[in-house]
Amino acid sequence: MADKSGNATALTVLCPIRPGHLGEVAYADEVKCRLLEWNTRENSPMAKVPQTYLCRYFVLDDVFTEALAGAEGRGTILDALAFKFRYFYRLGLPKQDHLKSRYLVFSTNFHGDLDAYLEGMWQAIEADLRGIWQFCWDFDRVHDGRSFAGYMKRCRLDVSLFFVGSTDDPLEEQLKSLYLKQEFGQFVLDHQGMEPAALQQAFRAFMDRVKPRDVRGPSWSPGQYRLGRQWEKA
Amino acid sequence: MSNIAGKAYAMNVITPIRWYMTWVNRLIFRIVQWFPGVLTGLVTLSLIHYARWVIVGRRQFPHLHPDQPKEDLTYSYMLFFSNFNGSWDQYVDSFTFAIPKGLDLFWKGNIRYPRSVPLTPFHDYIRYNQIETIHYYSAYPLATANDVKAAKKVKAALLDFDIRCGGDDVSPEEFHTRYKALLRHLQNDLGTMRPAPIISMAAAQVQKRLERDQRKAAERAARIAPAPRTVDVPAGKDEEAETIDG
Amino acid sequence: MTRQLDLFDIQGNVIRAYGRFSFPVARYVLLRIDDGAEGRRFVDAVTRRVTTSVDWGNAPGQVPKPKVAVNIAFTYAGLKALGLPRASLAGFPAEFVMGMKKRKDILGDDGPSAPEHWDPVWRGDQVHMLVTLNAQSPQDLEDGWRWLEDVTAARGGKVVILRGHRGPAGADDLPYQEAKAVYENGKPTPKEHFGYADGISDPVFEGMPGRTSQSVIGRGKQTDNGWEPLATGEFLLGHLDEAQEYPKAPQPFSLSKNGSFMVYRKLHENVGSFNALLDREAKAYPGGRELLAAKLVGRWRDNGAPLVDAPDQKSKLAWDERFGRASPQEQDRMLSGYTFDKDPHGARCPFAAHVRRINPRASLETTKGAFDTPGALANRRRILRRGLPYGEVTDPTRDDGEHGIVIMMVNASIERQFEFVQQQWINYGNDFFAGNDKEAILGNHSEELPSRMVLPVEPDSDDAPYFVRNIPRLVETRGGDYFFVPGMTALRMIAAGMVDPT
Repeated sequence: MADKSGNATALTVLCPIRPGHLGEVAYADEVKCRLLEWNTRENSPMAKVPQTYLCRYFVLDDVFTEALAGAEGRGTILDALAFKFRYFYRLGLPKQDHLKSRYLVFSTNFHGDLDAYLEGMWQAIEADLRGIWQFCWDFDRVHDGRSFAGYMKRCRLDVSLFFVGSTDDPLEEQLKSLYLKQEFGQFVLDHQGMEPAALQQAFRAFMDRVKPRDVRGPSWSPGQYRLGRQWEKA
Repeated sequence: MSNIAGKAYAMNVITPIRWYMTWVNRLIFRIVQWFPGVLTGLVTLSLIHYARWVIVGRRQFPHLHPDQPKEDLTYSYMLFFSNFNGSWDQYVDSFTFAIPKGLDLFWKGNIRYPRSVPLTPFHDYIRYNQIETIHYYSAYPLATANDVKAAKKVKAALLDFDIRCGGDDVSPEEFHTRYKALLRHLQNDLGTMRPAPIISMAAAQVQKRLERDQRKAAERAARIAPAPRTVDVPAGKDEEAETIDG
Repeated sequence: MTRQLDLFDIQGNVIRAYGRFSFPVARYVLLRIDDGAEGRRFVDAVTRRVTTSVDWGNAPGQVPKPKVAVNIAFTYAGLKALGLPRASLAGFPAEFVMGMKKRKDILGDDGPSAPEHWDPVWRGDQVHMLVTLNAQSPQDLEDGWRWLEDVTAARGGKVVILRGHRGPAGADDLPYQEAKAVYENGKPTPKEHFGYADGISDPVFEGMPGRTSQSVIGRGKQTDNGWEPLATGEFLLGHLDEAQEYPKAPQPFSLSKNGSFMVYRKLHENVGSFNALLDREAKAYPGGRELLAAKLVGRWRDNGAPLVDAPDQKSKLAWDERFGRASPQEQDRMLSGYTFDKDPHGARCPFAAHVRRINPRASLETTKGAFDTPGALANRRRILRRGLPYGEVTDPTRDDGEHGIVIMMVNASIERQFEFVQQQWINYGNDFFAGNDKEAILGNHSEELPSRMVLPVEPDSDDAPYFVRNIPRLVETRGGDYFFVPGMTALRMIAAGMVDPT
C-alpha cells in the first residue's frame, strides 16, 4: 500500500452509517448537519488534532455513473452486434450501481505514524468525534484512543498513489517556516539599504525575536486564516 | 458545504471502473511510483498540496457488522482526492493543457471516460463525478503549496546563515556580503502571504464581504469625522484578512 | 495551418487596433434602448455603416479606408432590450450576463476602483449598446458624431445617448468618452500617460490578415516546433479553439459565428503617484530611474525595448543602435519576438513586471519538457487589446486629472481569458511563485496591506535583489462592462429581429 510518501501519510476511511433516524432526520443527514455546524465555528475542530496538514469530510450517499459517449473497443463491437440483437445493445449500456449503505468519508493528510495520529485525534476532540461517528455501524465499541484507531483501520481503504506536492515535515516545522518566511520578507523590506553595522545588529535582534530554531516559539497557529500578531502563536 | 479552505480547494471525484481494470490501474499507479519522472508534469504545475488515488474493489467497501447489508455492485470505484491551489477551472484546465497524456493514463479504465481533450466533455466528466466536501480543513489557509515549499527553503537558509554569520567574529562588511548572497538565494521565495483571491460566490460569503465593505467604509468615515459606531461585525470565519488595526 | 476567414463578416475592431492604423482620435458612445422595435431600427442604420475587417485600398473593387471606423457592441441588458429570444439569451456565458460591475470581487475592483466611484454613466443597468467612432482627424470625428446623433434622433427618443462620462475640467455629464493618442511634437505616439509605449505585441491567430511567418514570433504560441499562430477560436466564436472545440456561445450558430466578447475598462492613471514612486525609489535603486521604470513594465519607456533583451543601460544602448539600423520587419521582431527562456530567475524582466504577468509566454514551464507544449499554461490566456488613452496630463505631480486609458479587450471567453489574468496573474502571484505579490502597474495595491515587488538579480552577481516597497495603486477603474461584438451576419439578424434558436 502506498499510503506514505516520506513522512507524510494519507488515510482514507469509509465508515458505513446505520439506517436509522433522529426524529425525522436520517442518521446520514444528521451527520451532514453536524459537519455543517463545524463550518460555523471559529475554527475547525481538526485544528486541534496534531500533525494534520489538510483533511476533509463528506457523506457518500450513492455511486453514480454519467453515461457519456463510449469510444472503447468493447462499445464498438457491441454496437455492431446490437444492430442485429437487442440484447447486445442493452449489454453495452452502463449498469446502474447503487450502494446499500451511506458512508461517512474522512480523508486526511498528516505527518507521521498512523496509530499515533488517530490516538492523538481522539485525545484532542473526542466529543466532536463521537458526535459525528456515533451513527456508524459498530462504533459503540469505541471507548478510547486505541479502539478508535482500531475502528478506523477496519474502515481504511488502500491508497494506490499518494502524491506529495508540498513537504512532508512535521506540522510545527511547516508552520514555523511559514511564519519565518513572512517575517523575514518583512525584515528584508524594512532594512533595505541599511548600513552594514546597523543591519547586522538589526538582524540579530530579528533572530532573537523570531527564534527560528524553536518550533514552540512564535509561529503561525494551525488553521490560522487571519494575519496579525493576535492570531499567531506567541 | 465548502470545498474551499483559504487558498486550498478540496476535490473529490468518484468514478466506476470495470472490476478487471482495477488490476491494470493498480499496476499503472505502482509503475508511476517506481518511475517518478512520469509525474514531472504534476510537480511542475506546482498546484497541489497532496493528492491521492484510491481504488475500492466492488467487494471492498467496509463491512463492520453482520446486520449491515453487504454491497452488491457491478463496478469497482476509483476515488480521487486532491488538495490544490487556484480555482476549479484553473486546475482542471491546467491538467488538460499541460499533462493531457498523464490524465488519460490514470483515468483510462474508467467507464466512458472521454479523454482530456477536447475540454468540455472532460470538464463535464469531472463535474458530474465530483462530490462536494462538507467540511474542509487546512492547517495553513493563507499558504499555497508553493508557499510551504518556499518557507522550508527560507528556514533552512536562515539557520544556515545564522551558523555561518551569526557570531561576533564576523565583521559588518563580511556580514553584508553574505547577507546579499542570502537574499539572492531567497529572492523568489519571499512573496507575501495574504488571503486568497475571491472564488466563492456562495450567498453567505457574498453577504460577509458586503458587511466587511460597509464596515470599512464606516471606519474610513469615522477617521475623517468621528461618530458613534453602529455596525457590529458578526464573528465567524471568512476568507478575508484582517490587519491588527483593521 | 492556414485558413481563410470571412473578413466581410467580422467587425473591424476585432482584427485591428485602429490606433495603430492612423485613427488617432475616437469617441466611445453608450446608449440605452427604450423600445425594442426602435432599437432594432437603430441597429439596422448603424450596421449599414459598420467597418469590417477587410483590407482597405483605392483600386476598383476594393473597400476604401473610411474616415471614421464605426463599430457596435451590446451588453446582455441591451440584447434583452432588443428582443433576442430567451433561448438565445440563455446561451450566453454567466459572467457576460452578470456584467462587469457585479464581478467586482473577482476583478479586484475595490477601494478607489469600486463601482461607486465610476463615471455616472455606468450606474444601474442602463448601458445597452456601445458604438465606437475611430477617426483619422478631429474634423472627421465631429462628422461621425453628428451622423450618430442624427441616427439616434430619428428614433423618436426611444434610443438615448447616455450622458454621464467624466471629462476634463470637472465635467461629469458628457455624452461620450473622448479618447485620443498621446501627442508629442504634434505627432501621435503609441504612448500612454505613464510614458510607456503601449500595445506593442498583439496575439496572432490563424486566419488573421496581414500575418506573416515573421510576425507570429513572439505573438503566437511557443511549441516544440517554434512559433505558431494561436487557434482562431481563442478570439472568435464559431471557430475551433486551443482545446479543439467550439467556444461556449449562444444559439443559433449564426448569432455567434465570427462574433466575440469585449471587455471595456476605463482606467484612470495616477500619474502623480507614479512619478512620486519613481522619485522615491530611484534614489535608492542602483540602476537609476529609467531602468526602474523599465522594470515595472518589462520594457524601456522611450522605445519599448524589451528588458529581457536589454536588461541594463549598456545592453540598451546596443539594442538601440541595432534598432536604428534595422528594417521595419526586423524592428518588429526585436520588439515582439522575444521569450523569457534565458531569464528563469527574473533578473532581466521581473516576474511582477507588466509584460511578464499578462503574457508569461513559455516561462511557466519551469522544468523543460514537463508540459505537452512549452506555452501550455499561457496559450489560453491571451487577449487582443484595443483602445486608446484619454485626457491629458497637465500636472504630472497630481493624481486628480482626468487622464488614463480606455482598454477594450477582445477574447472568446471573458472568464477564462480576461478575468483569469486579472484575478490570478495581475492581482495575485502564486503562479509566479510570488505569494500574493501583485503586478506592478495594474495591481489593486492598497495602503492597508502594502504591496512589494522584487527585482531579482542573477544568482552569480554580487548585488542584492531590490524590493520596491509600498507600491501605491497606480491605476483605478472608472467604468466599464462586458460587451458582445456580433459578426456582421448576426448584426443584420439582430436588426431584423430574426434571431431564432428554434
